[in-house]
Amino acid sequence: MNIIACVKQVPDTEAQIKVKADGSGIEDGQIKWVMNPYDEFGVEEALKLKEKNGGDVTVVCLGPARAMETIRTALAMGADKGIHICDPAFDNADAFVVGNALAAAIKTLPHDIIFCGQRAIDDDAGQVGSMIAEALNLPQLTLVTKVDFAGTSVKVIRPIEGAQLLIETSLPCVVTAQKGLNEPRYASLPGIMKAKKKPVDVKNASALGIATEAKAKVAKTIPPPARPPGKIICGDDPALKAAEVARLLREEAKAI
Amino acid sequence: MSNLLVNTRDQQFILFEQLGIEKLFESEEFKDFSKDDLLMIMNEAEKLAVNVIAPTFKEGDEEGCHLKDGIVSTPKCYREPYKKFCEGGWINPMDSTDVGGQGIPAAVGFSNMELFGAANYAFMMYPGLTHGAANLIHTYGTDAQKEKYMTKLFAGEWAGTMCLTEPGAGSDVGSLRTTAKRLPDGKFLITGTKCFISAGDHDLTPNIIHPVLARIEGDPAGTKGISIFIVPKFTVNDDGSVGKRNDVNCGGIEHKMGIKGNATATLNFGEDGKCIGELLGEERAGIKIMFQMMNEARLGTGLQGLCTASAAYEHALAYAKERVQSAPVWEMKNPDAKAVTIINHPDVRKKLLWMKSHIEGLRSLLYFSAFCMDMSRVSKTEVEKAKWEGYLDLMTPVVKAYTTDKGLLICSLGMDVYGGYGYCQEYPAEQYMRDEKIATIYEGTNGIQSLDLVGRKLGQKKGANVMNLAALIQGNYTKLKTNPDLAKVASSLEEACNAWIELTMFFAQAGKSGDFLLPVLNACKYLELFGDVIIGHFLLDGAGVAFAKLEAIYDAQGATTLGKKKGLQRSDSDAAFYSGRIASAKYFANEILTTVKARCEAIKAGDKSPLEIVDEAFTC
Repeated sequence: MNIIACVKQVPDTEAQIKVKADGSGIEDGQIKWVMNPYDEFGVEEALKLKEKNGGDVTVVCLGPARAMETIRTALAMGADKGIHICDPAFDNADAFVVGNALAAAIKTLPHDIIFCGQRAIDDDAGQVGSMIAEALNLPQLTLVTKVDFAGTSVKVIRPIEGAQLLIETSLPCVVTAQKGLNEPRYASLPGIMKAKKKPVDVKNASALGIATEAKAKVAKTIPPPARPPGKIICGDDPALKAAEVARLLREEAKAI
Repeated sequence: MSNLLVNTRDQQFILFEQLGIEKLFESEEFKDFSKDDLLMIMNEAEKLAVNVIAPTFKEGDEEGCHLKDGIVSTPKCYREPYKKFCEGGWINPMDSTDVGGQGIPAAVGFSNMELFGAANYAFMMYPGLTHGAANLIHTYGTDAQKEKYMTKLFAGEWAGTMCLTEPGAGSDVGSLRTTAKRLPDGKFLITGTKCFISAGDHDLTPNIIHPVLARIEGDPAGTKGISIFIVPKFTVNDDGSVGKRNDVNCGGIEHKMGIKGNATATLNFGEDGKCIGELLGEERAGIKIMFQMMNEARLGTGLQGLCTASAAYEHALAYAKERVQSAPVWEMKNPDAKAVTIINHPDVRKKLLWMKSHIEGLRSLLYFSAFCMDMSRVSKTEVEKAKWEGYLDLMTPVVKAYTTDKGLLICSLGMDVYGGYGYCQEYPAEQYMRDEKIATIYEGTNGIQSLDLVGRKLGQKKGANVMNLAALIQGNYTKLKTNPDLAKVASSLEEACNAWIELTMFFAQAGKSGDFLLPVLNACKYLELFGDVIIGHFLLDGAGVAFAKLEAIYDAQGATTLGKKKGLQRSDSDAAFYSGRIASAKYFANEILTTVKARCEAIKAGDKSPLEIVDEAFTC
């Protein structure tokens, strides 16, 4: 079984993000980078599928040179090989370009099932999985919390408001992973050492033969407004203090 | 954002910027590694520590261990993390691939253990002791013993312990009473009781392998007559299958102040006269053999001192940056002044810097000790190898005792930062202090470590190890004295180092002239001075590195004025780190190193009141 897992390198959720003074993006020099957590679910599911049914897992990643760390992490978790799409031409890529680039790389490989995170936690766009499916003309199963493989088809669970959908489709297909799908494993030490010897193919835009011009552009990155300071209500009488809290909630916060 | 356990930026600084462990990659032993590999390993260790082990810290303490119907249960929350820890290959990353390790540099292995131990040291003792026992069999076991026991221990399938202490033989191990009687098949019948056995009995693994010190019948009294035996909880057949229950039983577990998640057991060997043990190594070589494990355990206990203190500091620091109380002292006359976060109060700030500087110094000391093992492995000449081994021999008691003494103080100061809340179980400060205290006692009390340092280690190789270490420190301050910004603190290190050397010579002289009681009486004080000088050395060495890096940042950013430099320290995380490192070194030099000479003089003054006072004068 040929399994593809797409991964993106994103800032650690714990990282303190600073927006560049000119609003052209974020300061990326001193932050810690990690694998997008939703993509981790995808990698884990790919590995579980491989362990159960045999085959191999290829990690595909588009990103600058540092994104190699994320590919290595997936290899250390147990994936077999990697493709790193790395080209400065992709610096301002939008989901359309990224989806097409990933699709172009995947097209060169045998693929039965393609896993993506349902979205990346940096830009929260949630489009790339669908873009890949469209570019490859494959069925897409999004926001999936359970995958059952049955030979030539898969059945998945997709939660919706108040219910679940059980969806079945033929292979190949694209599955985007939602929280709850699994618990991603930690890379083991032997896994980390083995990952060094696993092949990673680095490709640029011309090798993939795709256009790199974005259709959408981030015009400006604006930091959230600073949080106003909290208000401490002083006094000795709890009843009066509670009344004051209620008044503020009603009149100032308009929460009640 | 802090992981609330260990400052990983500081770990990387010491390993890559201060010690320069990349030079190891030039050697045959470490040629397969790159900095990226090691960073990835450190990153995975951090994830495991934060997400898997740390959540067991409080729960494990509250649940503790229980003995019921002869079975010792550990906190339930330990089981899954223990499995994940072993499956991840974290028991023996530093060992060679032949025994299931990955051969990573010891310095990096220590940094991983620091994270795991900071997450929950009581938990880490299970795999830690297992490694020690496995390593003992690796060095001294027969091929058959390695096959039977070692492989499963290194993989964490079975656990190990270290059985020295008896009710009447703690610090005085030579007076132990456990006996071994020869059996016709070459095995031995073991009879005796061991107490205070960490991880002595538990339910994390289906079998436990005890290395046990005992005296073969007829062998001489004292340490020279002691042998060491492998005693499994369940016997192991020659084909590797697990046989019947051996006659080893848990007589009770201790109810302790801290490390409650670790079962401290009394073990009865041969109550029914059926406890089978196998000799490990040669007869009557037990102490020498066990010393391998004891030295490993002493460094491990030093790590406990560091990692528990590190977690206590990281928590206290986060609290001090959040907790708002009192207007700043310079606004004391302004009734409208607003309260500020407590890190703004000079006393809290000074406590935090005391903690920070000590932790950074201790971390360097620990990593340097591990780095000595790495460097001795890759040394090309015998002289070079002996130098690195010499540093480690000399410093092992200092690592154990100084780190744990200071670690406990750091935990205490951490609690002070919290104030009354720190004393309550709502916050982790009190558990860090409880968990830390044992480290000054077990694996040879800090008093015993001081005697080891003064009585044995200083004189080893006719003092050559001390001279080498002194030369290292001298090289450091000589270089730093050429830097106008660090010259003053470098002079403080010089003065402290000279005073320490003079005191060392004074002790040697006292020993020769028969007045050995003066060094013995002041051994603990001497060890503390030694520790102050050595971590002062590491802190200043680190400041030299940080200074150059900080200047490079200032240059790159065009920061020429003090205002701009301060601005960068606030906005640029590297500038903040390096300036913090320089502040630690300056503070430590001014606050601690400047006192070394006077304290040395006080010892030389030769007060012997504690010996002269008669017992009865300790009136009650």
